[in-house]
Amino acid sequence: MIGGSAGSFQVVASILGSLPKNYELPIFLCLHRLKHVRTGFVEVLSLKSAIPVIEPYDKEPIKPGRAYLAPANYHMYIELGNKFALSTEAPLNHSRPSIDLSFVTAAQVYRNKLVGIILSGANKDGAYGLKKVAEYGGTTIVQDPNTCEVRTMTEAALQMGNVNHIFSIDKIASFVANLKAI
Amino acid sequence: MTIEDIDIQYFVTALKNSSGYDFSEYSEKSLKRRLAKVLMDNKMELNQLVTEIKKNVSFAEKVVKEITVNTTELFRDPFIWQMLRYKVLPTLQDNKIINIWHAGCSTGQEVYSMMILLNELGMLEKARIFGTDINSDVLDIARKGIYKYRFNIGYLDNFDKVIKENPYNYEKFNDIPYSKYFEIDKVKDFMRMHPFLTEKPTYKKHDLVRDENIFFNKFDIILCRNVIIYFNYNLQNRVFNLFSNSLYQGGFLLLGMHETILGPMSASFDKKENIYIKK
Repeated sequence: MIGGSAGSFQVVASILGSLPKNYELPIFLCLHRLKHVRTGFVEVLSLKSAIPVIEPYDKEPIKPGRAYLAPANYHMYIELGNKFALSTEAPLNHSRPSIDLSFVTAAQVYRNKLVGIILSGANKDGAYGLKKVAEYGGTTIVQDPNTCEVRTMTEAALQMGNVNHIFSIDKIASFVANLKAI
Repeated sequence: MTIEDIDIQYFVTALKNSSGYDFSEYSEKSLKRRLAKVLMDNKMELNQLVTEIKKNVSFAEKVVKEITVNTTELFRDPFIWQMLRYKVLPTLQDNKIINIWHAGCSTGQEVYSMMILLNELGMLEKARIFGTDINSDVLDIARKGIYKYRFNIGYLDNFDKVIKENPYNYEKFNDIPYSKYFEIDKVKDFMRMHPFLTEKPTYKKHDLVRDENIFFNKFDIILCRNVIIYFNYNLQNRVFNLFSNSLYQGGFLLLGMHETILGPMSASFDKKENIYIKK
């Protein structure tokens, strides 16, 4: 699961572009976007991605080999039973989708099988969520702040502690591409 | 935001026994989160909350109001309203009566959106508008039709897209003033719907989990947007069944942008773009 905000779009594009076509895992993307930019995001990411990029419907079953992007203005939860649940309840820390909420719910479901990644961003959303990923036994990665367009989000995540890897963009991409289903 | 480790079952059972409200088939993660928020807002531990719910039905009612989600906008997702205006509503032009049910209408913004569209098409007179929600407080707000101005400035952008612009013909621009439908007071920070709109709908308290169609008619259109996301798959199916039984053949069901009929009930509808049509 990847969380990002300002400056993360290109990073996500290069991660998705580096995947093999027969990628075995689902990838979850929780990215902040401008309130009124509600369309076009999926299309642009799809052009770069080796696997299909989808904004999931509520209760849609999660399948491997797809990149799921949290829809604009919805929180995206992972429910037991391998399904999404969307919500329009109030933004958390001014964010909807909230990276924290996606990370926490994914951590509860996938536990040690979850890899949480925080990318460039201009606020602190995701730091709490990444800490929870670690607490549930998952792997935590933060983009090297020196390679970020905006460092705030990665620095907040690093301050929370429990970060396994600090990686450059290329390193994140190759790490994700080489993950296998367990 | 501690949504882990809350014993949701304990709460759900107490609430059901005390008040009859059944949250056992709500989506679990968001219910947990909102329960955590209710506990925080009331400065209570779960034990205290449950004890209070058991001995005090009006407290249980208050908790239900706090735990349900009321997010809505005027012309939320303008693209949907443009479709309604140019593709859906014109097909009902020759009906003598048009029955419309806003299920889970919250504070009424979509009820007003619909009435404004109908009025632009000269169809408001013959429309009968019904709004329901589980929370009677939001229905009171809907009846008044008064909304904050500054916080909701996006409503005006949405209005422009749906009412002034025509996405199917960019040369047609209708310069319709907001004052045709609502008054804006920037100093007192409100917008207020005009009486010919506030007086029109029938609002009733209704719980999609427990209640059948409480009106003595079927519907041409049912709008239920961003409500069923709070329900699990089984409950969603039951609600779709209720909607299917409450719609005329050829009637329209509008869900939220990321809601869809996934289960067996999908066989009862055709889907055109984002709109379901009862078979």
